[in-house]
Amino acid sequence: MSRWPITGVGAVASVGADPARIFDNLCQGRGGLHSLRGFNRDWYNADLLYEVDDRPAPGTDVAGRATALLTTAIGQALDDAGLPPDLRGVPVLIGTGLRELRSLELWWRDGQDFDAGRMHFGTALRERFGADDTTTISNACSASLYSLALGVDLLEFQGADTVVVAGVDVITESMFGLSDRLQLDPPDALRPFDRDRKGTVMGEGAAAIVLRREAEDGGHGWVRGVGVNCDAYHATAPDAGGIALAIKDAHSRAGVKPEDVELVMVHGTGTPLNDAAEATALREVYGDHLGRPVMTGIKSMTGHTSGASGVLSLIVALRAMRERRVPPITGLDHPAEETEGFRMVRGTAERADVSLAQIDAFGFGGINAVAVVEAAR
Amino acid sequence: MSAVLTGVGLALPGVTTPEDLLAPVPGGAEPVDPAARIGKKGLRFKDRATQLALACAAEALTDAGLLGPEGLTVPGETVAVLVASNYGNVDTVCSVVDTIAAEGATGGVSPMDTPNASSNVIASTLAIKYGLRGPNLMVCNGATSGLDAVRWATALVGARRADRALVLAVEPDNEMVRRLTGADRIVDGAAAVVVERRAAAAVRGAEPRAVVSSAVRAGSVEACLERLAGDDRTPPAAWFGPGDGQGPGSALLPSGTVHHALAGTFGEASAVLGVLQCAGTIGWYAGGGAGPVYALAGRDGDDATVGLALLAPGRS
Repeated sequence: MSRWPITGVGAVASVGADPARIFDNLCQGRGGLHSLRGFNRDWYNADLLYEVDDRPAPGTDVAGRATALLTTAIGQALDDAGLPPDLRGVPVLIGTGLRELRSLELWWRDGQDFDAGRMHFGTALRERFGADDTTTISNACSASLYSLALGVDLLEFQGADTVVVAGVDVITESMFGLSDRLQLDPPDALRPFDRDRKGTVMGEGAAAIVLRREAEDGGHGWVRGVGVNCDAYHATAPDAGGIALAIKDAHSRAGVKPEDVELVMVHGTGTPLNDAAEATALREVYGDHLGRPVMTGIKSMTGHTSGASGVLSLIVALRAMRERRVPPITGLDHPAEETEGFRMVRGTAERADVSLAQIDAFGFGGINAVAVVEAAR
Repeated sequence: MSAVLTGVGLALPGVTTPEDLLAPVPGGAEPVDPAARIGKKGLRFKDRATQLALACAAEALTDAGLLGPEGLTVPGETVAVLVASNYGNVDTVCSVVDTIAAEGATGGVSPMDTPNASSNVIASTLAIKYGLRGPNLMVCNGATSGLDAVRWATALVGARRADRALVLAVEPDNEMVRRLTGADRIVDGAAAVVVERRAAAAVRGAEPRAVVSSAVRAGSVEACLERLAGDDRTPPAAWFGPGDGQGPGSALLPSGTVHHALAGTFGEASAVLGVLQCAGTIGWYAGGGAGPVYALAGRDGDDATVGLALLAPGRS
């Protein structure tokens, strides 16, 4: 059975500017929710988002923020892996929900500088890292784990030596505005699996990992397998059956059984539809073993970072296994009925000696991706 | 590689068959009318790119023998979907932020635009329409997107994540995209091919139209040609250029090599170019062409160039 070492990680989010700080804040229960930092607050009912605080001044938005977050995360990951900032000939896969569409908005309506070649990230990665084998995959909220599936295939079937897999998203005004139009009573926070959840809240961030075909040790841990599929069911509503198939596919590719999994990083967006479908799928796959794995999720503190969320959750899972401590879901005061029997980490971080984790990411349009990773030890 | 092309579909003004792509395309053709091709049902609230994609996908799936009067002829889980588009939802994104600023509130935006604001709406709509449950990928990768999608489809079927993939590229024409690209016309059409593992095609008796021999991504047009040519440096019989007159000076493309330029035929092709070139290659072989064909997308000045080497269906 194959497994691929993760030799470098990098991440930026509302809750921290690198993986160590992100993990510490998550364990302390410190989230990144804040009043709007870049948009006109008079135009929206909602006033809370999980944005990265990197704008030049409050209320002043600038083009190119997604690209900047992405290059920072990739730079961190290369540095962490002990590799030079040179990606010539190295496949780089970037999963994103909203690409540089925020810059498109600022160009179209507000007259900022932008051009068509910067809609995808290859142009900037060529300039910054000399990268010439880049693919921007716009697969909504499962984009970075979908990218991981492709990256793992390159290592397994095409003899690639090193692959970089990343995810990134910053919030667009169009997506926030459409969400604001639909959320008449805006959520005060993102509360996955809580009885009183009121929907999702968008977040920002970037995450990147360096994968190798071979390494002397597991570095941060190993990718064991990634499953991907599509519900082909509904444009916006998830389907528990499709999600369950993706989880089973990931387990099968990883060569593991449900009872082997010790940690589940839920997708947990805090929308009733997602949470119910995910809970139903987990119940179906785990059956009698449902109470075994520790379950947590990061979105109550990071917000829904869309294309970045899968790899960001994966990096948190690796660190949780290494430090034997699992960050909690915050704001989960009254678990919803569908989580009956789940071993959720609530309120405060939990000590747990876990070495095999499942990471969920499900996207708009019913596109599901599930990864299984193993601790380095 | 063991992938073959087993179907093709076109939704472009003024052309009907893949062979038409190799002849001068008549000017002044009417824009594609998706409703006239597949009926109005299911097109309401869909953006122009998604409508064009739906019209084109039906033709490609039918041509490949994957879609019959009773629906899919193979299990939906065996079919992946890869869509390439850079500008599919540009109009929705720009008009939503215009509306918010004009009204100083979000009450005036239409909830029906919500799916269209997500860049992957085209790929997921095709999956839902035809029940295609395999891996579903939206490739938004600049000038090389079309060939990138074919390349990743080849990888997906090679890794047995699916037996076959519908690969479709589409770009709509509108004011926002024209301003963004600086072009006075955008292709406003779609092209599709079905990429299939050779063995899977053989099992269901599907006839290959072309064979994918190799696919590479490199930092320049010349570097891409070098890698396609490999050690034996046999020139192709024909090649499809990346546009802007790039490529013909290369020693790897001797003067006798037939050149087909599709980059400007329908205006700015963007993501559509690579899939259009694959369709053109199918036309080349259908019309009696022989020998290897190269398809190149991404010019010097873009972030990279992708090259595909294709072979006649009889060869492996």
